[in-house]
Amino acid sequence: MSEAYAVQVDNVSKSFGGFQALNGVTLRVPRGEIYGLLGPNGAGKTTLIRHLVGLLKADGGTVSVLGQGMPNVAVLRNVGYMTQQAALYPALSVEENVQFFAAINGADEGVKDALERVRLSDRRKSVVATLSGGMRQRCSLACALVHRPQLLLLDEPTVGIDPQLRVQFWEDFRRMAEGGTTIIVSSHVMDEADRCQRLGLIQYGRLLEEGTPAEIRAKGGSQNLEEAFLTLAGRGES
Amino acid sequence: MSGHRVRAITRRLLQGFRRDRRTLALLFVAPLVILGLLGYLIRGSSTAPSVGIANEDSGQLGAIVAESLRHSSLISATDISAADGDAKLKDGSLAAYIVFPSDFSQQAQAGNVSPEVHLEGSQPGRSTPVVQALQLALSSVAAQASGRDIRFAPRITYLYGGANFDTLDYFGAAFIGLVVFFLVFVITIVAFLNERSQGTLERLMASPLRRGEIVLGYMLGFTVLALVQSAEVLAFALAILKVHNQGNVLVIFAMEALMALVAVNLGIFLSMFARSEFQAVQFIPLVVVPQVLLSGIIFPVSSEPKALQVLSDVLPLTYAVNGMRDIMVKGADLTWLSLELDVAVVAAFGAALIVAGTTTLRRTLG
Ligand SMILES: Nc1ncnc2c1ncn2[C@@H]1O[C@H](COP(=O)(O)OP(=O)(O)OP(=O)(O)O)[C@@H](O)[C@H]1O
Ligand SMILES: [Mg+2]
Repeated sequence: MSEAYAVQVDNVSKSFGGFQALNGVTLRVPRGEIYGLLGPNGAGKTTLIRHLVGLLKADGGTVSVLGQGMPNVAVLRNVGYMTQQAALYPALSVEENVQFFAAINGADEGVKDALERVRLSDRRKSVVATLSGGMRQRCSLACALVHRPQLLLLDEPTVGIDPQLRVQFWEDFRRMAEGGTTIIVSSHVMDEADRCQRLGLIQYGRLLEEGTPAEIRAKGGSQNLEEAFLTLAGRGES
Repeated sequence: MSGHRVRAITRRLLQGFRRDRRTLALLFVAPLVILGLLGYLIRGSSTAPSVGIANEDSGQLGAIVAESLRHSSLISATDISAADGDAKLKDGSLAAYIVFPSDFSQQAQAGNVSPEVHLEGSQPGRSTPVVQALQLALSSVAAQASGRDIRFAPRITYLYGGANFDTLDYFGAAFIGLVVFFLVFVITIVAFLNERSQGTLERLMASPLRRGEIVLGYMLGFTVLALVQSAEVLAFALAILKVHNQGNVLVIFAMEALMALVAVNLGIFLSMFARSEFQAVQFIPLVVVPQVLLSGIIFPVSSEPKALQVLSDVLPLTYAVNGMRDIMVKGADLTWLSLELDVAVVAAFGAALIVAGTTTLRRTLG
C-alpha cells in the first residue's frame, strides 16, 4: 500500500512479428484515479492493458502493478479485468458466471452486490446465451469487479450500453475511485473521457499526449474535447 | 435459387481453407496416414495362429497328420512337448496346441479319432482356424492312410473363455474402455478450445489461477463425467449385452477411470496445438485412429509387423486395452504382474500428460 502508483509503465515496447504495437510507452497512474485511454482502432490500447495483467510480456521496458513487477500471479488477486469482448460462459446463468469469477479470485461474497451494481439482479437466473448484447456487457463488468479489486481495467466497458445506464456506470466508477479503487478505462466516447481525471492519448503504439481533460482541451486548442482530440491525433499523424 | 449466391458460399468456404494451411494439409495427409497404416497392418501381419503339436502317437498316423499340419496355410505349426503346452498358452506364444494321444493310430483303425485341442480361447478368431486345419489334415491324410471313413471328435479345452465365447466377448472388453477414452478425449479438447475462442481463457489467465489449478480442475470435472459414463457403459455391456466377464467389476471400473484420466489430459495437452475447435477435431483421425489401430483391439499386437509393434509399445491405449482384456477375459486381478504393468504404464502416461498439459498451457498470449 506504500506505493503511490497503482500502475507504473516504463518505456514499454512490444511488437508482433514485424509490427510495432507499442513503442516506448511510459505512464503512471496514482491510486484512486480514473485514467482514460483514448486512441483510434489499432492504436494499442488493448495491447497495453494486456501488459498490465501479464497476458503479454513486453519486449523492452518494465511494467509494475500495485507495487509488483509484472508478470506476477499473486498481484492479480487485486486486479479486475474486463476484456473488450464480453468473455463469459454462455451456458451458465448470469449469477453462475459472476460466482465463478468471484471464486477464482478468492472472493466468496459480493455476487449480489456486483449484480446490483450492473442492474442485473432481476435477470440473475437467465442463461447468458439468451441475454441481449448490452446485458452481456453488464454481466462481464460484474465479473470484473465482483472481487472488489484495487485496480480495475476496463476495455471499452460501455460499448452497447444504453445512455441512462452509462451515466449510472460512471457514477459508480466515480464512487469506487473515491473509495480508493484505481480505474483504467479505454474508450472512444468523448463525453466519457470528460469524466476521467486524466487522459492518455495513444496512437501508433505511442503515448502521444497526457493530461486532464482541461489540459487536453488547451493543448488541442478547442473547447470541444472531440475536436481537441482530433487536432492532437492529426499532429501525431504528421 | 441463385447460382451467384451459391457460388458466394462455396467460394467463402474455399477461401477460408486457403488460409488454414494446417487443415488443408491434414485433409490430404490424414487419409494417407490412416490407409497406409491399415494396409501395412493387414498385409504385414502374420495372421496364421501359432500352434504347438505334441505327437505322442505310438503308431504312424500322428506323424503323418503333424507333417500335413506343418504345411497348412491356416496355422503355423511347431513341435512341442505336451507338458510345455499350457505354459506356452499362458505366455501368449501359442494360440493353441494339439496332442495326438499314444493310441491315436489305433483310434483311427476303430474309425473314431479324438485328438486333444487345447485353445488359448481369448480370441475366437484365432481358435477357428486351428480346428479347421486339423480337420482338413485328418480328412485328407488320415482317410488315405487307413483307407476308410474316420469320424473326427476332437476333445477341445479352453484356457480362457469357452465354447460360447464369441467375437463380441473379445472386442467388448476392449471397446468398453475405448468408448470412454474416445468420447472423453473429444469432449475435453473441444471444451478447452471453447474456453479459448470465447475469450474466457484470457480472463482465467488474468486471474490469480495457477496453470496447474486449471488443468486439475478440468481433470476432476471430466473424470467425474467419465466415471458416470463408464458405469453406464459397463452396466449395459454386462447386463444387456452379456459380454463375457471373468474379472472383478471394480477393477474394470478402476481401469476405465485411469483411461479417462489419460483421455482428459491428452485432450488438454493437444488443445494447446489447435487454434480452433475445427483444428481440434482433426486430432481425431491423426491421434485417435492410429492409436486404435495399433492398440491391439482389432489386430493383436503380437501379429503386427515388427516396426509397428515398436509403435504400439509406446502408445498408452495398447496397455489399457491389454489390461481390460486381461481383466475381463482372463479374470486378471491386481496380483497379476502383467496387469500391474499395464496399470503402471497407463498411470505413468496420465501423470506425464498432466505435466505436459500444465507446462504447455501458456500464461501469455504472445
Ligand atoms: N496477437 C497479436 N498478433 C498480431 N498483431 C496483434 C496482436 N494483438 C494486437 N495486434 C496488433 O496490434 C495493434 C494494436 O492492437 P490493439 O488491440 O491493442 O488495438 P486497440 O487500441 O485496442 O484497438 P481497438 O480500439 O480497435 O480495440 C493492432 O494493429 C493489432 O492488429
Ligand atoms: Mg482494443
